[in-house]
Amino acid sequence: MTINFSLFCTLLLACLVLSGLISPVYAHHSVAGQFDIRTPVEWTGTISKMDWINPHSYIYLDVKDASDTIVTWRLETLPTAMFRKAGLSKEQVMGAGQEVTIRGLPARDGTSHLGYIMRINYADGHFYQLSAESTR
Amino acid sequence: MTTKKLFQIPSRMRICAVAVMLATSALVFGQADLSGNWDNGSGIDFLNPVVVGDSVCVVACAEVTLIPAPVSNTPRAVPARPVYKAQFLARVQELNDTQVTTDPVLRCNPPGVPRIGPPDKIVQTPTEIIFLYDDVAGNFFRVIPVDGRAHRTDVEASFLGDAVGVWEGATLVVETTHFNTDSWLTDDGSFHTANLRVEERISRDGDELTWQATAFDDEILAEPWKIPVRYATSTDVEIVEAPLCVEQDLEHIVDGTHHDNPR
Repeated sequence: MTINFSLFCTLLLACLVLSGLISPVYAHHSVAGQFDIRTPVEWTGTISKMDWINPHSYIYLDVKDASDTIVTWRLETLPTAMFRKAGLSKEQVMGAGQEVTIRGLPARDGTSHLGYIMRINYADGHFYQLSAESTR
Repeated sequence: MTTKKLFQIPSRMRICAVAVMLATSALVFGQADLSGNWDNGSGIDFLNPVVVGDSVCVVACAEVTLIPAPVSNTPRAVPARPVYKAQFLARVQELNDTQVTTDPVLRCNPPGVPRIGPPDKIVQTPTEIIFLYDDVAGNFFRVIPVDGRAHRTDVEASFLGDAVGVWEGATLVVETTHFNTDSWLTDDGSFHTANLRVEERISRDGDELTWQATAFDDEILAEPWKIPVRYATSTDVEIVEAPLCVEQDLEHIVDGTHHDNPR
């Protein structure tokens, strides 16, 4: 079954506005307090490592910069319980070394190569939506 | 006691022995069997992932259809909050305003009771009930004597306190005291004192576990805080070793912006 991607995102955004949720549940984590929700960016590379930890997992994305030097981005994402509820394992998220494009939010405090993941798009066409686009 | 030995006892004593055996059996039968693995939603009941082929939407996903979901006019339920005495409202507000840096849970501290919620696994013996938890901050346990033992006085105050239990029919009633002051009752600055006492009532109906807790802290609360009932469903899914909890956000927080959670 194919999906209308723009409609999917519209539904997702509507759901997010209704639910008011963008952050993990156990306490009031501050996504907007740490990451710039007004300027989403995209990074393309391969996932070299994943810290399967709480309260947030971290993905390490190796990205080639303008001079072809590999730079590793440390990208924050969901607690492990949320992945498990969605039926996703660490291995599935890492993507078996295929190229991925991650849409996310950069850090507000100027820390280089630190971000928050909204969506991971894999080279084989599938994706995992881990947060929502939001202008809040 | 064998039947042969029973009939060697004088008849009056035999009648008493049988009565005691039946009474004891009735007490045991009156208690519920709470043992097993319990799916309590892990605090993320609101999460409804959507799978489309090989893709997955994890957070805040509605059913993906070609017809937009109708907008509900029903307001969201306000989360339950303890009611503080007037002289403590300012402190609660201050902690609420700074919670992204002051909430103990965000530092990977144990959540305390009742914030930890119902257990994920229960092991039951005639003298002890053991609660096991698979929490975002780690794996935790509580040993609840049900054989009449008093609260322990030989241990330090702790995040999960010291618990004792009694059976009220088929309901397990757990009283916990001896807490440290390093946890909150819930989020949004809900601090407590070392005099906190929590009563939990746990019962079972088939494959459903019912858990309800009331927090008593007379020094600071205007009234006992009775939190909404939570339910858990029996499951074959075994609890697992919790991943490491490693706090890595605090140093990067720029301001206190945060979002409300459903609970």
